[in-house]
Amino acid sequence: MPFELSIVTPEGTAFQDRVSSVVLPGTEGQFGVLPGHVRFLTPLAIGEAVIQTTQGSRYAALSDGFAEVRQDHVVVMVETCEFGSSIDVARAERAKARAEAAIAASRQSTHDENLFRIEEAALRRALNRIAAAKNDRQI
Amino acid sequence: MASLRDIKRRIVSVKKTQQITRAMRMVAAAKLRRAQNAVVAARPYAERMRAALVEIARTQQEAEHPLLIARPSVRRLDVVVITSDRGLAGAFNANVLKFAGRVIQEGESTGGIESVSLTLVGRKAGEYFRRRRPTQIGEVYAGLGTVTYDQAARIARRLAERYTTGQTDEVRLVYSEFVSTLNQSPRAVTLLPCQAASDEPIPEHLPFEIEPDAATLLGALVPKALEVEVFRALLENQAGEHAARMAAMESATRNTEEMIGSLTLKFNRARQAAITRELVEIISGAEAL
Repeated sequence: MPFELSIVTPEGTAFQDRVSSVVLPGTEGQFGVLPGHVRFLTPLAIGEAVIQTTQGSRYAALSDGFAEVRQDHVVVMVETCEFGSSIDVARAERAKARAEAAIAASRQSTHDENLFRIEEAALRRALNRIAAAKNDRQI
Repeated sequence: MASLRDIKRRIVSVKKTQQITRAMRMVAAAKLRRAQNAVVAARPYAERMRAALVEIARTQQEAEHPLLIARPSVRRLDVVVITSDRGLAGAFNANVLKFAGRVIQEGESTGGIESVSLTLVGRKAGEYFRRRRPTQIGEVYAGLGTVTYDQAARIARRLAERYTTGQTDEVRLVYSEFVSTLNQSPRAVTLLPCQAASDEPIPEHLPFEIEPDAATLLGALVPKALEVEVFRALLENQAGEHAARMAAMESATRNTEEMIGSLTLKFNRARQAAITRELVEIISGAEAL
């Protein structure tokens, strides 16, 4: 018995379809949702969503956000959602290199906590996109 | 009476203006369509977010967040004004700016408020207030181009920071609401403290599990809700700008048509008069022989 999954972002609805299960990156660790899951609401961390559809698995890189699980409808609210197949790996690699360089630089000179956090998040997003792209290609 | 050549020159010049206004109208129409799509696309996210926030605020009364708590007395007021970067959009920016001026004045005349600080988004707002209230200008965001969520997030984060650190006790936002293609009206809303309570009908709800706990969830949700609010205002402003420009350019094109019509009439009359005069001269010359 499949259920409805919608992934909404400020730029639009990224995904809306019936799925048989989904694994989401909660802040307290990954969790899976199967049909009939109890209603709940949780924040999401930057990470990967694994969506099981009738056509197979899809991998998407999510930025942080929230997931709302209802009786037969899961709504994922994230700032960005990119499916592996549409990720520009070269761009993600560049973003990764840039973030790494910025982190290395901030370690040496100014110890700006805020800047460090921003760059760390950027690095995490880049790694996440690279991973999702790799996984989605393997199918 | 203007000479034939003068009139001709005017007609050519007006025609060139018409080409420009017509092109601008087309560009604005295309941009408007894109901007409207962006407004529509952002809606589900904004609505879900809002619904989640309202639900948590309602079911978890004990959960608190610094951005939700109203200050007992407002001494410092922040006003955020959103305009476009470019002009030639009719009265679009003038309307918002005038309205913003009233909001600021109202704030200043309210008892208890000691200072008003401005956050300006869009080049037009910057220019306007640089002349009128140079000392009150805080941050200016200009030349942003097409609205992105990142920009909205940056502005929202800055405002949240000002609020939590006590640099401001209330934040009001003035922007153009995109009512329809023909109607954009300035609007003021209170951004901070964040209004979680609402009069919207309570959706049917079963008890909710929240992980890890309501406070953590609110901590993540409230700043996001603020970002969304700013993002929505930016998008509406953008759509309104293009709609207003489209309307302005359309009427400008119409005006040039009218002008070309009356100039052509004038030109033909002058030409006829010249011909008549020449004929009269020839005839009277022939008679004199």
